[in-house]
Parts: sequence; structure tokens; C-alpha cells
Amino acid sequence: MWNHIEQALHDSMGRVTTKIATLLPGILAFIAALLIFLVLAWLFAAAVRRVLQAVKFDERVGRASGSIAELSPEHTPTFLVTRLVFWGFVVLGVLVGLSVFDASSAEPGVAAYVFAYVPRLVGAAILLFVGNVVARFLSRSVLITAVNLNLHYARLLGTGVKWLVMVLTAAMVLDHLRIGGEIVDLAFGILFGGIVLALALAVGLGSRDLVSRSLEREAGKSADVQPEEQRVRHF
Amino acid sequence: MAGIEIPAELQKRMDEIGPVDLVVGVSGPADVDALRAKAASLRGVGIDGEAAPPAKIVVAYAGVPGAEPIPVLEGGIQLVAYPPPQAMGSGAFWMDVASAQRSALELAASWRARACLVVYGDLAVLDAETVRPFSEPVLKANVDLVMPVYPAGKYDGLINKSLLAPLSRALYGRRVRWPLPADFCVGANTLVKLTENGAARTQNEPQLLWPSNAVAMYGGQINQAAVKVQHASPVDGLDLTTVLTELAGSLFEEAERCAAYWQRVRGSQVATRYGDPCPPVEHAEPVDPRPMVESFVIGWQNLEEVWRLVLPPATLLELKRLARLEVEQFRMPDALWARMIYDFALAYRMRRINRTHLLGALTPLYLGWVASYTQEVSGATAQEAERRVDQLAKVFEEQKPYFVSRWRWPERVG
Repeated sequence: MWNHIEQALHDSMGRVTTKIATLLPGILAFIAALLIFLVLAWLFAAAVRRVLQAVKFDERVGRASGSIAELSPEHTPTFLVTRLVFWGFVVLGVLVGLSVFDASSAEPGVAAYVFAYVPRLVGAAILLFVGNVVARFLSRSVLITAVNLNLHYARLLGTGVKWLVMVLTAAMVLDHLRIGGEIVDLAFGILFGGIVLALALAVGLGSRDLVSRSLEREAGKSADVQPEEQRVRHF
Repeated sequence: MAGIEIPAELQKRMDEIGPVDLVVGVSGPADVDALRAKAASLRGVGIDGEAAPPAKIVVAYAGVPGAEPIPVLEGGIQLVAYPPPQAMGSGAFWMDVASAQRSALELAASWRARACLVVYGDLAVLDAETVRPFSEPVLKANVDLVMPVYPAGKYDGLINKSLLAPLSRALYGRRVRWPLPADFCVGANTLVKLTENGAARTQNEPQLLWPSNAVAMYGGQINQAAVKVQHASPVDGLDLTTVLTELAGSLFEEAERCAAYWQRVRGSQVATRYGDPCPPVEHAEPVDPRPMVESFVIGWQNLEEVWRLVLPPATLLELKRLARLEVEQFRMPDALWARMIYDFALAYRMRRINRTHLLGALTPLYLGWVASYTQEVSGATAQEAERRVDQLAKVFEEQKPYFVSRWRWPERVG
């Protein structure tokens, strides 16, 4: 019996080793392809950056349309295009590497499955990027507007709006990637509703005194007393 | 040259009337009956004083040319309607006024008038006594531009006092009291330059009209005329942030466009004043600065992350110190305010932050300045307050090297 156990272990080890030996060239080829395309990505990104700087791309885009700078003002258009080129080559390298892995693998079909999933990955990446930009933009808009309305909880409002948009974006991305199914829908509903309820309570309860003071002020306002705002003329 | 499209009826009238001395352009639609009554009073306006023949005057207003026949008024004054500019009705008050002003100037340029007097739509300026200080320097002494000096109390026109006037003076080197006027008069040379630049600019982005800055750039002569009228501002119901965004944004845009010029300007020239000085407007009661200080403190508590993208650390430290002061001790130094405006102008150019957000974040800082200013002038007369404002403008000039340095090397901080 001990010989049988030893034989079974030997056979298993042999199969695993054979499997690894079969897959290893494909894995090494995948890594090599990825590294080559990383270098190509870096070279092309540097070349594109030099070309765009030479033709004053940022200034031309800024004159023609302010929409890119308005949505993502921390990054110049040149930076965004350079990053796009870089990551485009990286993605291409991943796909080429997968194709090489598939060709050298005894189990074809992995690459086909991944290639079919790539458009969803790209769509999800775009959704995530746009959602992130929109969340930051809306958060800052709400923050500044609330401050100029003299609301003490302006930062809470801004953060709340940001997280609302981010949660919505995350749910859309997971739905697009077909991850989680109904669990994601349910979790999103609970989380989104919870955030909205929390914000409503914070605003409603927090401004209760403000509303009552405002109403008292309106009711007791004398026609002879000119509000401070009217005695100072800004324009 | 001119961007205005002149309909056939208007061109026909222009050909019939022939060359004119003065085109009075009403910036916007006007009540024709009121206009007719007021325009008739201009018949006494002459070129070389009252003894000389009266000037040939045309009064133009935004309307439908040929819609109703307008008789020739007494004294030979003609009324014509020019097509309202397409940009009017944008919802932004100052943009609408600027569009109408440009249309009036372009009409006068097409007519090859010797001078063009642009007046605000309420027609408050339209009488011979008020028009003469505007038109005579241009027609008689070939002055390029005459700007108004309106009567204002110490708590009036604070955006102009704190930002528009001192920044324009520091950058363009002319001591003009109201750089964004509702009424002004230009000569023939200036007409050509304003309409050439204006036509090119409006193709890209609508802009307010800053006539004194434009004339300063080509070295023209600017005078000022005392105007004893106060226009009723219809923007009183508008949000402060909206107006500040529109006005400051336009001036920052102008600074970005004209950077090659103002970096060479040193000091400022006095603009000669015509007419009797306006009687000072006194305010009886001081203003409570508490609401404005509270706005500033709320801004500091919530917008520090935004201000950090625009202001250097030394300025943020000073703001932190200010936020901790009691209301009675709240005083914003002029140098701090001037440097902050310059930092915001630079951030506007660099687009470090969305421009609408940038200008919205300026509001609490502006209210902090107003709180400080109202406390400083609470016991002062109107003339003492004017000297205080002039002192602020001098500080803007003194801090200009800081702005030039940061403009050329924006990555250097402090």
C-alpha cells in the first residue's frame, strides 16, 4: 500500500511538472512581449510628447475648446494624450502577450475569451475615468456654491456629492463588467439610498435652526431698517 | 473692419445724412419717445464752443431700422435705429451691455464719425450739459477717449474700487476711476482701433469692453469727465458671485491677452478731469462687517484645499491668521489683497483649476476685503475714503513686480 501511495505522488508530481513545463514558455513569452511593449510605449509616449510640445498643442487646444482643461485642469492636453498613447501600447502588449501565450499553450481558447472581454474592460476604464472627473468637478462646484451661500456644512455637501457620483460610477462599471450580478445592484441601492438619506438628515436637521431664524427675521423685519447687503453696493 | 451688418434701410439713411460729427450710441433698446425728448436737448452741443455752429449729431439706438419713421428733430439731430447685436439677451448683464456698446461703435466707425459717445440705456447722461464734457475734448482737442467719473459714496462700487480700477491702473498705467464705464466718448482714431480689435475678439469668445485699457495700449490720450448722474443698476438682484465672476474673469482674460504690453508698463499717468467735481455722497450709518467676516471665515474653513492650488504658502498663513481675529480687529493688508488678486489672475491663465471654480473661490476673499475696508472708512468722509482707495491702487502698482515675476516664472513659489 505504501508503494501505491508513493507511486500516486510520483505520478502527480510528474503531471504538475509537465504542466508547468508546458505553460512556462508561454508565460515567459507573455512577459517578454509585455516588456517589449512597455519599452515601446515609453519611447512612443516620449516622441509624442516632444511633437505635441513643438506644435504648441496645449495652446491650440486651449484656444479652440476649454472643455478638456475645464474637466481636468490639473493635467494639460499633452499629458493626457501622452498617457493615452502609453497605456494604449501597454494594453496592446497585454493582448499580444496573451495571443503568444495562447499559441504556445496546450489549452487554446484563453486568448479568445480574453479578447472577447477586452471591449468591456475598455468601456469600464472609460466609465471609471469619466465618473472620476465628473465626481471631482461636481464636488468642487457644490463646495464653492455652498460656501458662497454661507452654509457651514459646505464641505459635507461637497464630499457627499462626490461619493454619490463615485458609488454610481462603481456600480455602472461593475455592471458593465458583469461582475456580481444582482448583489451589486442591491448593494448599490442600499449604499446610494443610505448616502442620500444621511445627507438629507444632515441638511434637514442641521438647518432647522437656520430656517426658523430666517422665518423669524422675515416676520419681524422692519421696513425702516435697511439690510446690510443693500447698504453696501458691490457694483 | 466693422462686425455690424448694416441693413439696406440704414445704409440708405446713412447715405442721405452724410458725414456726421458725433454719433451718440445708446447701448441697448430705448424708449423712443423718451429718446426723442432727450435727444432734442443736444441741439446746443457745439464743436468749438457755443458760438460755433452746432455739431452734426446722430443718435442711434438698438431697434429695427425702418420700423417706424423718425422725424428729424429740432436742431438737425437725426435718430436712427441699428440692428441689435446677436449676442444680446445672453443673460449676462455686462456681456449684453458690451455687445450693444460694440455695435454702437461699429456703426459710428462705418459712418466715419469724428466722435462717438456711447451712453447707457437709461439715457440719464443724454442732455447737453452732461454731454459737453464728453464730446468737446474729443471734437475740439482731439482727445482719444473721455471716461466718466460717477458720484459714489464710500460704500458704493466696491468691486470697482477693490479690483477693477486698481488692477487696470497697475497693468495699463492709466489712473482711470471707472475702467468699465456705462458711458464714454471716443475719437475717430480710437473708433478704428476698438472696432478692429473687437471684431477679431468676438469671433473667439465674448468679452467686456475695456476702452481705457485698449487706448492705453496704443498710447492714446485719456481724459475723464465728471458726471453728476448715477445709473440705476439692474443687477442688484443678481448673485454677487455671478457678477464678480463675469467682471473679474473678463479683466483676467484681458490681462492674459495683453501680457506682452503690460509687463513693460511702469507707474501710471494721471487722466485729466473735465467738468466740476461731483459733490461727495455721504453715508450716514456705518456698515456691520460681521456677515462679511463670517463669509470669509466659512471660506477659509471649507475652501483651503482650493485656495492652496492658487495661493502660495505665505499668503495662506496670513489668511489663517486673519481667520482667527475678532471682527473688530479684522484688517486685510493692501499688499496681501493685491498679491491675492495677482495670484488669481495667474491661476486663471495657468488653468490650474476650472475657471468658474477659481472665480467662485474669490468671493469669500473679496468679502473679507470689504469687511476690512468698511471698518477702516467707517468714521471717514467720502474724500478720505477716496484717498484710501487711491492708496490701495498705489499698492497694486508697488506689487506689480511680484506679478510680473510670477507670470514669467510661474513654477517659482513665494
